[in-house]
Amino acid sequence: MQELGNRWTGKWINPLLRKELRQRMRSGRTILALSLYLFVIGAVAFVYMYVNVQGQTLILQPARTAELFTFLSYLQLALVSFVTPGIASGVISGERERQTLSVLLTTPLSPITIIFTKFISSISFLLLLIIMTLPLYSIVFLFGGVLPSQVLAVFGLQIVTLGAIAGISIFFSTLLRRTGWSTVFSYATVAILFMGFAIFGYLFDSVGLHSADESVWMHLAGICYALDPIYMQAGIETNLGLLSPSFNQSIVSSVFDVVNSHSLSGKESWLFFLTVYILIGVILLVISAWRLRPGSLTMVRKRVIRWMAH
Amino acid sequence: MTAVHSLNFDVRKGTVFGFVGENGAGKTTTLSILATLMLPTSGRAYINGMEVTTEPGMVRRQIGFLPDEFGVYDDLSVREYLAFYGTAYGVEPALIDKRAAELLHLVNLEDRSEVLVNSLSRGMKQRLGLARSLMHDPPVLILDEPASGLDPRSRIEMREIIKGLREQGKTVLISSHILPELADMCDEIGIIQRGTLVACASVEVVNARVSGKRHFLLEVMSEGHQLAELLSRKSKVTEILKVDENKVEFLFAGSEADQVELIHELAMGGFQLKTFQELGGSLEELFLRLTAEEDAKAEPIPKMA
Repeated sequence: MQELGNRWTGKWINPLLRKELRQRMRSGRTILALSLYLFVIGAVAFVYMYVNVQGQTLILQPARTAELFTFLSYLQLALVSFVTPGIASGVISGERERQTLSVLLTTPLSPITIIFTKFISSISFLLLLIIMTLPLYSIVFLFGGVLPSQVLAVFGLQIVTLGAIAGISIFFSTLLRRTGWSTVFSYATVAILFMGFAIFGYLFDSVGLHSADESVWMHLAGICYALDPIYMQAGIETNLGLLSPSFNQSIVSSVFDVVNSHSLSGKESWLFFLTVYILIGVILLVISAWRLRPGSLTMVRKRVIRWMAH
Repeated sequence: MTAVHSLNFDVRKGTVFGFVGENGAGKTTTLSILATLMLPTSGRAYINGMEVTTEPGMVRRQIGFLPDEFGVYDDLSVREYLAFYGTAYGVEPALIDKRAAELLHLVNLEDRSEVLVNSLSRGMKQRLGLARSLMHDPPVLILDEPASGLDPRSRIEMREIIKGLREQGKTVLISSHILPELADMCDEIGIIQRGTLVACASVEVVNARVSGKRHFLLEVMSEGHQLAELLSRKSKVTEILKVDENKVEFLFAGSEADQVELIHELAMGGFQLKTFQELGGSLEELFLRLTAEEDAKAEPIPKMA
C-alpha cells in the first residue's frame, strides 16, 4: 500500500515538493511550532470567552462573538505574518548555506519549478496553520453573529497576504546569500506592509485636512490603506455585515473609522488589494527564478543568434 | 577578474581525464561551467556534442556532477536521498529502488540504505554523493576533488570506484590535489595554471614533452655497475639516476627506435636483462616543473608604490 502511495505521489507530485513536505513534517520543530501556534490561539480564544461570557454560555451574545471573531482573526493575521518570513526567508539561502543548491541546480528541475515548489511547500505549512484553527473558529459559530462566508473571506485575505509575504521572503532568500540578512529584509518588508502603509495613509489624511485639494490626498491615503492587510481585514468585517465591534480602544475603532471613511469595504479596494498582492508575489517569484540561474537570457540570445546565422 | 581564459581541451569518450592545478587556478570554475552552473563570458563548451550555454537542460541529463564541497539533506534516509534525485532526473519510479540498490552496492553502502544521511561519515557522504551523481546513469561524470578530506582508506575506495566506472564506459573528468592518485587512474591529464591549460596529454607524454627525456628502469641478474658504465657512454642516455647490484635507473633522450637499438646492444653485450621498463614521471614533480616554468614566463606583479 505504501509502495502504491509512493508511486502515485512520485507520478503526480513534483519530487522536490515531495521531499520538502517529507522533510518539513519529519522535523520535530514543525510539530512544536504547530502545537505552540494552536496553543496560543486556543488559549487566547478560551481566555477571551471566559472573561466575556463568564460561564453564562446559554446567553446568546452575537456582538461579543463578533468581537471574538475579529480578535481571533487579527491574532491569526499577526501570527501568520510573523511566521511566514521565518519559514520562507531561508528556503534558497538555506540550500546555499547547506551547500545543496549547486547539486539541485544541476538536475533537470527548472528554476521556475524549484522556486514555485519552495513557495508551495512554505505556503502549505502556513495553510496547515490556518486550517488547524478552523475548529476554534467553529466555536464562534456556536454563539452566532458570524457567518461561515465571513470566516472564509478572512481566510482568503490571509492566504493572499501570506502568499505575497512568502513571495517577498523567497525573493530576498534568492537575492541575498545569507539567511540572516534575508530574514531581516523580509521582516522589514512585512513591517512596511503592516505599519508603513498605515503611517503613510495617516500622513496623507493629515496633509489632506489642511490642503486645498483634499481629494488627491484622500485618494493617496486610500491607496495606502488599501495596501495594508490590517485595514482590508477590517473592510471584510464591515462589508459582510458584521456588527461593528464594540471595542473601546481608540486604535481599533480608528481602523474601522478609516475603513468607512475611505470605503475600503468596497469591491474596488478589494480588487486593488488582491491584484497588487498577487502581482507582487508572482513577479518576485519569477525574478527569483531568473536570479537562481541567471543564464536564461543568454541562452535565448545565443539560440536566436544561432537561428539567425542558419 | 578572469578565472579561466584560452582553455581548450577534449576528453575522449570512456576515459578518465585528470584536471590538475593549484588552488585558484580555475579548476572549479571550469567544472562549474561544464556543469551548467556558471556562464562563460566567451567561448564554447560541449558535452557529448551539446553546448552547455544553449542546451543546458540536455547537458544536465548527460552529466553527473559532484562538487568539491556539497551538503546532503540530513532529514532523509540514504534510500530517500537517492530516490529524490532519481525522480528529479526523471528516472522511472519503478526503477528507482533497483537503481538505488545497485549504486549503494557499488559504493559499499548497501547496509546503510535506511539510515539517515546525517549519521554517515564524511567518506560515506562522499561515496553517497558519487552514487547520487550516477542515479540517472549519465555517460559523463564531473568530479571536483572527490577525494578531498577523505582518509586514506576512503580515498582508495573512491579511486577503485572511479576505475570501475571507467571500465563501465563512463567518461570521467576529475580534479584533484592528490596527484599520485590521479596519475594512477587517469588516461590523460590537463595541468591548469592561472586559468590557462599549460599541458594536456597522458602523464608519460606530458613528462616527455616537458623534459624531452624518458625515465627507464633496467633490471639485470647481477651486473648493475657494469651496465651503468656502458649506459653512461651512450649518447642518448643523458643521466644515470640510480645504480645498485641488479638495477639501473636512467634518463633516455632517444626515440622508440633508439630504445629498440639500445635493448639489442645490451643483449648482444651479454647482459641478462630481466626488466626494461619505462617509469611514469612523478606527477607531483611534473606539476611543479611545469608550473615553475609558467611562473618564470609570467610577468612579475608590479609592486605597489
